[in-house]
Amino acid sequence: MAPPFLARRRLTTTFGAGALALTLAACGGGSLGGDDGGSDGGGDGGGTVRVGLVIPQAGVYTPLGEDMQQGWDLFLDQNDGMFGDYEVETVIADEGESPDTGVPAVQRLLTEDSVDAMVGIVNSATALGVAEQVTEAEIPLIVANAGAEAITQDAASPYVWRSSFTNQQIAAAMGTYLGEEGVGPVYVMAPDYAAGQEVVEGFIEAYEAAGGTVAGQALTPFGTTQDFQPFLSGVQSSGAAATFVFYAGGEAVSYVQQYDQFGLKDSIPLYGSGFLTEGSVLDAQGESAVGVRTTLHYSTEIDNEANAAFVEAYQAAYDELPTTYAVQAYDAANVLDRALADVDEVSGPAIAEALEGVGEIDDSPRGPWSFTNQTPEQHIYLREVADEGGTLLNTVVQDLGVQPQP
Amino acid sequence: MSVVPDSTTEPAAAGPEVRPSPTRGRGLALRAAPLLVLFLLLAAVPLFVAPFTANTLSRILIFALFAVSLDLLVGITGLPSLGHAAYFGIGAYTAGLVSIHWTSEAPVPVLLAAAAGAVAAAATGWLAVRSGGVYFLMLTLAMGELVHQLAQRLTGVTGGSNGLFGIPSVRVGGEPLTLAGLLYWYVLAIALLGFVGLWLVAHSPFGSTLKGIRDNEPRMRSLGYSPFRYKFVAFAIAGGFAGLAGGLFAGLVRIVNPTDTGFTTSALILLAVVLGGAGTLWGPVLGAAVVVLVRDTFGPQLDGHGPLLLGVVFVVAVYVLPRGFAGLAGLATRRRRAPGGAA
Amino acid sequence: MAGWFDANLVSILNGFAIGSLLFILAVGLSIVFGMMDVLNLAHGAFFLVGSYLAVTFVAGESWAGFFTALGVAALVGLLAGGALAGLTEPLARRPILDQALLTLGISLIVAEVLSIIYGNDVFSVPEPPALAGSVSVAGSAYPTYRLMLIAVGLVLALVVWLVVEKTSIGALVRASVADREMVSAMGIDNRKVKFAVLGVGSLLATVAGVLAAPVYGARPGLDKTILLLALVVIVIGGLGSIRGALVGALVIGQVESLGRALVPDYASFILFGTLALVLIVRPRGLFAGKVAH
Repeated sequence: MAPPFLARRRLTTTFGAGALALTLAACGGGSLGGDDGGSDGGGDGGGTVRVGLVIPQAGVYTPLGEDMQQGWDLFLDQNDGMFGDYEVETVIADEGESPDTGVPAVQRLLTEDSVDAMVGIVNSATALGVAEQVTEAEIPLIVANAGAEAITQDAASPYVWRSSFTNQQIAAAMGTYLGEEGVGPVYVMAPDYAAGQEVVEGFIEAYEAAGGTVAGQALTPFGTTQDFQPFLSGVQSSGAAATFVFYAGGEAVSYVQQYDQFGLKDSIPLYGSGFLTEGSVLDAQGESAVGVRTTLHYSTEIDNEANAAFVEAYQAAYDELPTTYAVQAYDAANVLDRALADVDEVSGPAIAEALEGVGEIDDSPRGPWSFTNQTPEQHIYLREVADEGGTLLNTVVQDLGVQPQP
Repeated sequence: MSVVPDSTTEPAAAGPEVRPSPTRGRGLALRAAPLLVLFLLLAAVPLFVAPFTANTLSRILIFALFAVSLDLLVGITGLPSLGHAAYFGIGAYTAGLVSIHWTSEAPVPVLLAAAAGAVAAAATGWLAVRSGGVYFLMLTLAMGELVHQLAQRLTGVTGGSNGLFGIPSVRVGGEPLTLAGLLYWYVLAIALLGFVGLWLVAHSPFGSTLKGIRDNEPRMRSLGYSPFRYKFVAFAIAGGFAGLAGGLFAGLVRIVNPTDTGFTTSALILLAVVLGGAGTLWGPVLGAAVVVLVRDTFGPQLDGHGPLLLGVVFVVAVYVLPRGFAGLAGLATRRRRAPGGAA
Repeated sequence: MAGWFDANLVSILNGFAIGSLLFILAVGLSIVFGMMDVLNLAHGAFFLVGSYLAVTFVAGESWAGFFTALGVAALVGLLAGGALAGLTEPLARRPILDQALLTLGISLIVAEVLSIIYGNDVFSVPEPPALAGSVSVAGSAYPTYRLMLIAVGLVLALVVWLVVEKTSIGALVRASVADREMVSAMGIDNRKVKFAVLGVGSLLATVAGVLAAPVYGARPGLDKTILLLALVVIVIGGLGSIRGALVGALVIGQVESLGRALVPDYASFILFGTLALVLIVRPRGLFAGKVAH
């Protein structure tokens, strides 16, 4: 599972020697000089590129971090650990749950580990918190999950890229679809935090533009809601014909199960943003999830050659189905591979410039996509959970087409 | 350090120390030399260490100031707060907003942050200090969580859970402090002023009265003091210094998010105070250093086992350092003091 | 009024179910604090141990698995409580915050060990056979298992009340809450009492974890949420009072259920808002529990 190029040794060198080593190792420099980060990593180093992989290894987002690391490792395994002509050295850092741990982790990669590029970051706040620092250090960062629109808008920089999605992109696809289908009034629910609010806004805007009406909406306490009954009774009394929700992790499991237990599943169809039924949460939801429809930019069931090969290789390597989180990291590696094939020297600015020119990613498991404003313009799929021989899958009902950036 | 450490653990043993002990002047002179050396060492840091280490030390200084401000409540006044991060966070948001919308010229953002922390603490403190012990702990927890939820909800002002980002660099005389070493000097200067301020409060007649209330509230009341008024002022002062620390934090990491106001931060800083040795003011500095190093510096490299290390540190510390880090020095002090029979 | 009642009947009923669950998970914490002055911040972690034991033993819908999980959880809880009694004994004369440092440290370690054993995925646990599915209540579907929780909570409350009020053990318990020194002066070994009380208190936490598993599942981070809920419940009622824990649980059950249904826009504020309000009006909880330290 852990390929040899993972630089575990850092753990022993830095931690074993303790704070003293931390101080002395850096003795030559001082912290009053100009920028010395980044430019010393490669170039003359005999063809290596050092990439920081920032993923949650502790806290509630850990399952996403595991999937991302597996996607990353798989791409490297398939490419002999090389990006272009450069050998890849991966330095892993734990993002944790919040910017309080994520920002120092990135700072350390930028300064102590002098990486040439960075990939990862689940939490949008962490991505926004480091955007300025990676720009100042001139080290490209490919965000491989965080979906806040601001990351590539308000905080836009030539060094901040994204291989995942934006919250609104996915919600808007469903909004347009449901509006055009004319399903009747929809009740909208999401956790009360930035991503939840973005999803609700993105959905309602697209849904109303397509002629739909909203039956009601509720924002539930984020991260601590285990019991959705009080909100579900609101759905029932609103006269909604369908429900659209955005939940992930533990809340996604509770929501889908309780939606079934309180008898709403059969009377008011449940729609959601794809994270509702993505990855390990789907197994935990069990039969309650069957029939739930979601939109996302990936499903294991997408019918194309690249995806078939990817799913097979992933299953062979890890004995489980890939998730969208794994694909996002896999594609980030793919993008870096393409960029590094185009550079003359390994440096942050050179890689960032090469990223401008990668064009369409035509061999991605999610189908072809390309960067627009440094974030993917990609197909969004309508998926439905089905039980196929005891395995729950997100089958593809319809390709909703390329979803432009809001 | 002559009077405080012993009485924290045996509240009934000693009466309130209203007058400073006569040995204090001599102790001050004896301590001045090492303090000067320490100061010079701290000031010389940026000449030798790499930016990441300088940043880590800045972080430690900020959390140390935050911890010492809490120690004024926990150790000196006997009010264990589990919501102190609320005022730290309010300070951080204030400094961030001032820097974004008005000026990041030092020391304007941190002074306003301190003011905001003090005002917020005063606004909530008159309710909080009426209770005590575990009820005080829980009431402050509730207030902290309400502030946390507000920070989460007021997306237009705070950026919600995406955090308040895009905070510009601190400026001194118009020049932005982008280098880690310069930023460290700025943090060091303000934090030292904060430490001195808190030390003066704790060692003033006002501070002595607080200790008296901590040790024997009925007696202080019968002497004509109003415990409520003293606790309230202590709460507001502690909030002000927490706000100051928060203001520095916003300038250092340049993002503020709701977690900085919430339970996790409050609990960690309270444990840092206990770990260091409540009531000593300097013990919590070490406690904060350990917490920052374990959680933010070494934790991210342990393949996700950072929390495990933190847990082990807490458990071991309870037995190995019964009075926190301050207890180590306490041993030495007691030995020295024993023959003379001071205090 | 009748219309309002009908519309919210399910939420009120659900409030009782959640309240029952909260009582089961909080009463142990309250007993331990009231009798032994130990503020056990590892209570939430012990609860999560129970939930994960349910994940291990409840395979498919079966009573055997469910009772095995309950039995193992009870045993593990007793042992954990005994160990905690031993660990906290040297801290008996030290400030309560030292115990907080110890028990929070233990809770971080336990949570981490659980995540090493079970990974970080979310698990759900099926209900026992007869309790799976839903029944119709006032025209809406309501999960049968939650109705059973109300019964379990009532029975537990009754048992605890009988034990405390009508037995000699109960007399000892009440005496310990009132004056611990007095009890040891009577020649009763304080340490044995402590082992017993912490054992039972922790057993209640792990058993609550099993009972709650079909509702809350098992996942990293649940321990913290549960700990905060349990603390809120026992503080609202008044520390160390069993009646207080029951009332606190019922109040918070309704707040979390009916309250959220009535003012969904302020759902994020309502739990801690209630706590703050109660403590401002009654600084020592509704039933003015024992004087805290």
